[in-house]
Amino acid sequence: MTQDPGVRLALVVNELKELSFVAHRDLGAALPSLEPHGAETTARWAETGRDLFLQDRDGGKAFLRASPGLARDVGAVDVWTEQARGFLTFRGSWKALTAYLAGLPEAVRVLGLEDARRWGETGLAWARRHPEAGAIFFQTPVADLAAGRGFAGVREILDPLADLAARYGLPEGLALPGAIKVRALLGPQALGPWLRRGADILKAGRLRGEAFFRLEGPDSDEALTAVLPGFRTAEHERFLALVTRAALGLAPALAPRGLAVGVRPFIETDGRTLFVPSAFPTREQALAALLHHAGHLRFGTYGQEAIDRLFIEAGMAHPPLDADQRVTWRPLFALFGEDLLRFQVLFDLCEDFRVDARVQALMPNHVPRLLDLAAARPKGPAGAYFDLGRLGLQMLAGQVAPAGPWAALLAPDADLVTSWVQARALYREGALPPLDLADRDAAYLPGRSPNHERPVYPRPAVRDAPPEPEAGAGSDAPEPVAATPAPVSAGHDPDMEIPPEDTSGSGGRVGVGRPQPAAATARYRRTLVAGEGTPYPEWDYREKTYRRDWARVTERDLTERDSACAQELLARHAPVLRRLRRALQAAEKPRRPVPQRRQSEGEELDLDAAVDYVVDRRTGARPAPRVYRRRRFLRRDTGVLLLADLSTSIMQQAADGTGRVVDRLKAALLLFALSLEEVGDAYAIAGFASKYRDAVSYYPIKDFGRRFTSETEAILGGLSGRLATRMGAAIRHACVRFGEAGTARRLLLILSDGRPADYDDGGDERYLHEDTRMAVKEAADQGIHAFCITLDASGAAYLERIFGRGHFLVVDRLDDLPRRLPQIYLKLRRGG
Amino acid sequence: MRSLIDRLRGVERDIVQAPDAGTGPYYEPQGTEIAVFEAAWRRRLPVMLKGPTGCGKTRFLEHMAHRLGRPLVSVSCHEDLTSADLVGRFLLDGESTVWQDGPLTRAVKAGAICYLDEIVEARTDSTVIIHPLTDHRRRLPLEKRGLEIEAHEDFLLVISYNPGYQTVLKDLKPSTKQRFVAIEFRYPSAEVEARILQNEVEGLDPALAARLVAIARQARVLKDHGLDEASSTRSLVYAGSLIAAGLPPVEAGEAALVNPLTDDVELAMALREIVKAHLLAA
Repeated sequence: MTQDPGVRLALVVNELKELSFVAHRDLGAALPSLEPHGAETTARWAETGRDLFLQDRDGGKAFLRASPGLARDVGAVDVWTEQARGFLTFRGSWKALTAYLAGLPEAVRVLGLEDARRWGETGLAWARRHPEAGAIFFQTPVADLAAGRGFAGVREILDPLADLAARYGLPEGLALPGAIKVRALLGPQALGPWLRRGADILKAGRLRGEAFFRLEGPDSDEALTAVLPGFRTAEHERFLALVTRAALGLAPALAPRGLAVGVRPFIETDGRTLFVPSAFPTREQALAALLHHAGHLRFGTYGQEAIDRLFIEAGMAHPPLDADQRVTWRPLFALFGEDLLRFQVLFDLCEDFRVDARVQALMPNHVPRLLDLAAARPKGPAGAYFDLGRLGLQMLAGQVAPAGPWAALLAPDADLVTSWVQARALYREGALPPLDLADRDAAYLPGRSPNHERPVYPRPAVRDAPPEPEAGAGSDAPEPVAATPAPVSAGHDPDMEIPPEDTSGSGGRVGVGRPQPAAATARYRRTLVAGEGTPYPEWDYREKTYRRDWARVTERDLTERDSACAQELLARHAPVLRRLRRALQAAEKPRRPVPQRRQSEGEELDLDAAVDYVVDRRTGARPAPRVYRRRRFLRRDTGVLLLADLSTSIMQQAADGTGRVVDRLKAALLLFALSLEEVGDAYAIAGFASKYRDAVSYYPIKDFGRRFTSETEAILGGLSGRLATRMGAAIRHACVRFGEAGTARRLLLILSDGRPADYDDGGDERYLHEDTRMAVKEAADQGIHAFCITLDASGAAYLERIFGRGHFLVVDRLDDLPRRLPQIYLKLRRGG
Repeated sequence: MRSLIDRLRGVERDIVQAPDAGTGPYYEPQGTEIAVFEAAWRRRLPVMLKGPTGCGKTRFLEHMAHRLGRPLVSVSCHEDLTSADLVGRFLLDGESTVWQDGPLTRAVKAGAICYLDEIVEARTDSTVIIHPLTDHRRRLPLEKRGLEIEAHEDFLLVISYNPGYQTVLKDLKPSTKQRFVAIEFRYPSAEVEARILQNEVEGLDPALAARLVAIARQARVLKDHGLDEASSTRSLVYAGSLIAAGLPPVEAGEAALVNPLTDDVELAMALREIVKAHLLAA
């Protein structure tokens, strides 16, 4: 090989001339920009171009074409030429190479030449492992990678990625774009956990994993929420709900508002549900915000009547409603044209002041807390509004005497319309500067939010009395549940997915937790086949008599198995299970020996018995010498049969939107079974469903005599809903099955999510209610205590009649069910 | 002087005691309970006091016993309580045996008010022996001695009963319940409860009493949302006493109103928040 650079260059030029017209032309065009960098460099450059071209035409052409620009903008031809040669070592490199050449100027600008070279090396290493990953790397804007911290910033992202790639074989290219976003949102410390979670999910399923790294889907939301900085609402939802319930007597449903970091943690509402951000900066701010917004719901900001009057005051006859019967606010603010933001903020200021005054009366630290939070005054026009808000708080705290509009808002009969009137007066005064959208958010004090961001469902009449615990059911009036779209039956009708049974027929109101207009009538598909199933009588309240052999119960095995689901549920509820177990070991396990009295043998004397014995002897009788006391471990004498309602309605989406009812049900049953294994009581689990009186299915899941096996677990994992709820027949059958238990005290726990109903009750709710009531009574006569746990928030309305006072419990938070079911049982049992 | 000595050492007192002179135990009426009780007393009808823990059932009865001038015999029932524990038993005395009356028998003979607290807890055999006492017969059979005691004309049987879903397995039999006139107790209204607090805790600032009551009222909303027993008037009195004894209000509230009520972490946090809301500024 010739050493002279000129000769080498000429060789390359000739070679390319023969090979490709385009390449030759590009080389010729680039040469003038390269030649100033020295003959040796130019020769090496040309050779590189040729080599790349020979390996991959596209790569070579891209190199030659990019070169003049690089030579001009970056210089250092040697450096990038050498690095480009790196792309010769593997096939299919052109895409990565093209991206490298395109990204290099920016890399040099952001990182400097030396670090840009390290950047290039890293990308090259990626590309060697997977050319596509290399392309993604080089396409990623260097400024995003560095995030203003130079190469250190780049390494923040690349190091954990490299670590994971080495340990789990995680494809780096897949994770990189997401990782940059995650760092931007949550900071570098969140990267590691996020990536590890992603690697796990990727292992479980390619598609899920890819969605995760695209920051899409539930897995991603969950993982991001878990690493979110600040006070995370999802983890503290119950706490927040309890505080609001205690403080204001109402606990609105909370729903996540979606992930948003870096913006103000505003709460929005549709009049029923509070949409809360995933995290608040601090616990105090979360509490303040939640109390404030629950206060809006409590004190009539969204009350039907107040809204009606507000619109009349504003000169509109009716509040405009959208398709969902929600009030839309836009027309109201449209009255203020261009300046609507200024008015909107003033209106909110007045209404927030009014509500905070009311909340303060119930929670004396509410206003002081808001004042503490309102420390940082924003700059710009928002500051004036912020000051006004703070002035209001100072009045409420008694530091400043209330005057003018504020005094009017403190009047006992002040309401939404008062706020409107006062805000309009303030608006007309015009003392406050105009606002634009960017400034608006800063105008709100921490804890407060714009009140009219969403259309709202007007709330029915406002109760103005303070929450009266004595009022009993009254104060527990269930909150209207957020509009959950009815499950679309097409393609996913659980009724259709149960093969072995005849499941035709329209559901009507049957099998749904909430009553719907009756559609089904009593039509019988077939006549009763003698001998199929066990016949049971049914109570007809209209005739005041039993219908003999009216309902037939058939025992069927559940055929679906899903141990993976069971395992996943158990893993998810592992902390709860652990806590339960610990509590059980500490308290419930009968390790305390219980004395047995009046035994014929034993380790100590039973004093009472001995005295009786002596006395009897004195009187001349010949009593049996049962005068000893013995300590024995207590024999369990409680047996429980858990009867789960497996009707269609359990397949519904949970009201809070995450998952389905059946998942919580499965988890609850699993935890229940495992807790009882721990306690050692005799227990059985069964499910029931029905379709017409002659086809009541009873599904034994675990019998008294059997052990809990992985098979049982799989059955529980595979539970699904079907058909309707003929509860009476199921209870009667369960009572028969109790015969196996052989325990003195028998508890029949019924877990349901709706009222008893069946396809053939002709829409007469009362019929099956009355029958169930009789079945419960029959059970009681046999010494079996029936207790109903329901997920139906309106359950109190009918369950008291069926089961009697104190014999049912409404679990109004679905998430609580898995945790509470075992606890409820233990509590019931301890009562005895 | 007498009371000083009593304070220095525990004093044995017979369970049947004529009521002390003086005004008697403090009780703040919540409704018609006094009238109902007095009417039942005039007709000697057995009474059942229903209501949650710490709402003043026992105090009410002490007050009524004093008001009616009758001795009060209280028996706290527990799961090992047998009928012999109530009625009485033979004891050995040297070469012979003697019969010793149980508290119920003593009360029946002395014409006292006999109070069986939390009767559900006792064994079923002991609930059955009160049946003949609760109807027109008003007799207590002493099987072992083969005789029956006709109740003193002033004898009155009172039981207490705390309904709740905890007692499903252990409910009183309807046949037992029916034999009683029932008075339902609830937690007192806010004003009454504040008055009770100020009466029970000497020197408690009225504003502070009102704050404590506000806490209890908010905490009671959480009953059945994880809280099995709501904050009772008694626990409010405890909280007030702790404050009067010099403890900072928030700590007193935590010690009397949060920690005893629940082991549930989130619930305790929520209760603490309520306590802080009302007492931090106090």
